[in-house]
Amino acid sequence: MNSAAKTKKLERKLKKLQHTVLRETGMSCDLTPTKNIVICNAGLVNGLSEEAIYKHFSQHGILENILLLPGKSCSFVSYTKLQSACNAFETFNGKLNIAQDNKPVYLLYTSSLPVVETSKTWKNLPPGLLILEDFVTDEEETELLKLCDFEKDSNGMKNRQVKHYGYEFRYDTNNVDKDKPLNEAIPDACNFLWNRLSNTYGLDFHPDQLTVNHYSAGQGIPHHVDTHSAFEDPIVSLSLQSSVVMEFKLDNQHLCVLLPRKSLAVISGESRYDWTHGITPRKFDVVYTNNNFTALERATRTSFTFRKILQGECRCSYKSKCDSYSKQVNASIENDAASRLEKLHVHEVYENIASHFSDTRHKPWPNVLEFVQSFDTGSILVDIGCGNGKYLGQNTSSFSVGCDQSTGLINVCKDRGFEVFTGNCLSVPLRDDIADGVISIAVIHHLANEDRRLQAIKEMVRVLRVGGQALVYVWAKDQCKNEEKSSYIKQDRRNRKCKDITSRDGAVDNEVSVLQGVSLPVHTNRTQFKHNDVLVPWKLKGRSESDNVFLRFYHVFQENELPGMCRELSNVEVVKSYYDQGNWCVILRKV
Amino acid sequence: MKLLTHNMLTSKCMKGVSVGYPLGINASDVRVSEVDFNPDFIARMIPKLDWAVLYNAAESIGQLEDLPKDLANNYENDQEFLKKVHHVLLEVDIINGELVCPETGRKFPINNGIPNMLLNEDEV
Ligand SMILES: [Zn+2]
Repeated sequence: MNSAAKTKKLERKLKKLQHTVLRETGMSCDLTPTKNIVICNAGLVNGLSEEAIYKHFSQHGILENILLLPGKSCSFVSYTKLQSACNAFETFNGKLNIAQDNKPVYLLYTSSLPVVETSKTWKNLPPGLLILEDFVTDEEETELLKLCDFEKDSNGMKNRQVKHYGYEFRYDTNNVDKDKPLNEAIPDACNFLWNRLSNTYGLDFHPDQLTVNHYSAGQGIPHHVDTHSAFEDPIVSLSLQSSVVMEFKLDNQHLCVLLPRKSLAVISGESRYDWTHGITPRKFDVVYTNNNFTALERATRTSFTFRKILQGECRCSYKSKCDSYSKQVNASIENDAASRLEKLHVHEVYENIASHFSDTRHKPWPNVLEFVQSFDTGSILVDIGCGNGKYLGQNTSSFSVGCDQSTGLINVCKDRGFEVFTGNCLSVPLRDDIADGVISIAVIHHLANEDRRLQAIKEMVRVLRVGGQALVYVWAKDQCKNEEKSSYIKQDRRNRKCKDITSRDGAVDNEVSVLQGVSLPVHTNRTQFKHNDVLVPWKLKGRSESDNVFLRFYHVFQENELPGMCRELSNVEVVKSYYDQGNWCVILRKV
Repeated sequence: MKLLTHNMLTSKCMKGVSVGYPLGINASDVRVSEVDFNPDFIARMIPKLDWAVLYNAAESIGQLEDLPKDLANNYENDQEFLKKVHHVLLEVDIINGELVCPETGRKFPINNGIPNMLLNEDEV
């Protein structure tokens, strides 16, 4: 192709992309040079990163802004000087291969950048966060690092090396064993930090737990809130050897905060209880300082995180992130109340919605089907909480029998020719050791306290013969595991990306009083769960507004909660524990 | 309700009941319908059954035909025998009637072929 033809082709391409950008962002762009460049065909949805933009575009001058928009396939770069933008434009347009599949990027100019609320910002700190720069001197840094030699004390953490003092922070439970202090308390050599904090800043803080994390460049830590019931407020973290960018998230807010080397971060109040914090694993951070972007290469970093063990339960007002609050709600549902709650908000609801429910539950889940079909000829399979019998006819060489509390759903099964009886999963009316396989799909999350959920698992195991296997599915609190949205969330077209779900979480759940002394939050359908014990609305179509919404009780499970319960039983082993489409799942074997 | 299901059901979850097995049967409507015969399935099912309970249940609802009281030695290869077991286990259906707890006499109704084993709150 000669150069005239090449130019023609580029012009046609840009003409098309001009419309795409306008449609996606409302921004008009063209060939008139400005300081702002639009990368028309690459953005967050096709994997473009801030780092990649910075790496190439900073070669042509100082960058004033880099803007990547959630869910968009274009992005924006601003220079402090017009000439820099022109140079980058000439060099990169149609030539720089950083778009999807190493295709070239196509560029246009725009007079201004779009105003967005959901992208990352550098402007603010989350409320309650304090960054005290140069809190320690170089000499003090050296002395502190000597306390903990990671070359010798290495351990098994995949992403980073860790050492605990005072109490061990357990990453499996996200908590500490409060009655098992370690032999090694926080070294006295750290004491000067508290005196300084008190003398200089008037903050009285006397920690009894220290976690030292050793990160290699490129390592990070996933987003989390420090468990409320484990520690008091605040949490204090000293950054040594390298600066790093820590990100804080709450609903649709995403704040980037630079933790400079030798600084002390005091994370308190809202920033401690309500915001998650984490470090993205990458080799260098793109940092916004003095109104422009610079790159900050990460080196090995050691953080000293000091905390004070909380005696008793957390009494914060940030309930949706509070494990103490969840526990208290759950404890308040004693057995009598639990049974009444299940009657009103599970059994009666299913009777009312049985036919509509059955119409919407056709398709068996592949992994459940595979389990059911794995049994030999002449096996006895029991489906506890069989619903409309979706899994009863799926293994024709076995004998399948279904059990459900709902007469309406059991009638549906019988009409479909399945062998069933009406019964409750807390007292299954079957002999011990009779079944080769048991399934209980989306059932025990309807039980209103942990004793009852455990009792239901005990019943499954009792009915199972030794060597027999049970498959249990429960709804997961996290509906968006590994950036993969569950089908429950996906059904709402607004939730195309995981990020968008959290951005819709701004709505506050209403609380409804279900029994005397027990109130539960009403979940907003097709969003992430904010609480462990919730009422989930079921809307029947074609009824008047007042009587077409039914509230079903759910206990949504945390990661590891289900296998953890199963391990309390001495006569089972957990064969497999996994996440499937918004559910936590276990396969158990009776031993 | 098939007699295979009856062979598995118990009322042991009731308060004060220790074994709750076997449940008595009062049948008011029994139907027989043809089900595909799979000898392998029946041969593998037999060791899982309580044979005496199956025999007595079939007898109590008049569906015994000539099922032997004791298990034959070499039943895996006895097609005629397996067919009789097949009939009793899978082809006989109790449509209406009741199951009776052997210890308390508590009755569990069977309607439209569905035993209702739900217990009241004060029974558990
Ligand atoms: Zn709390």
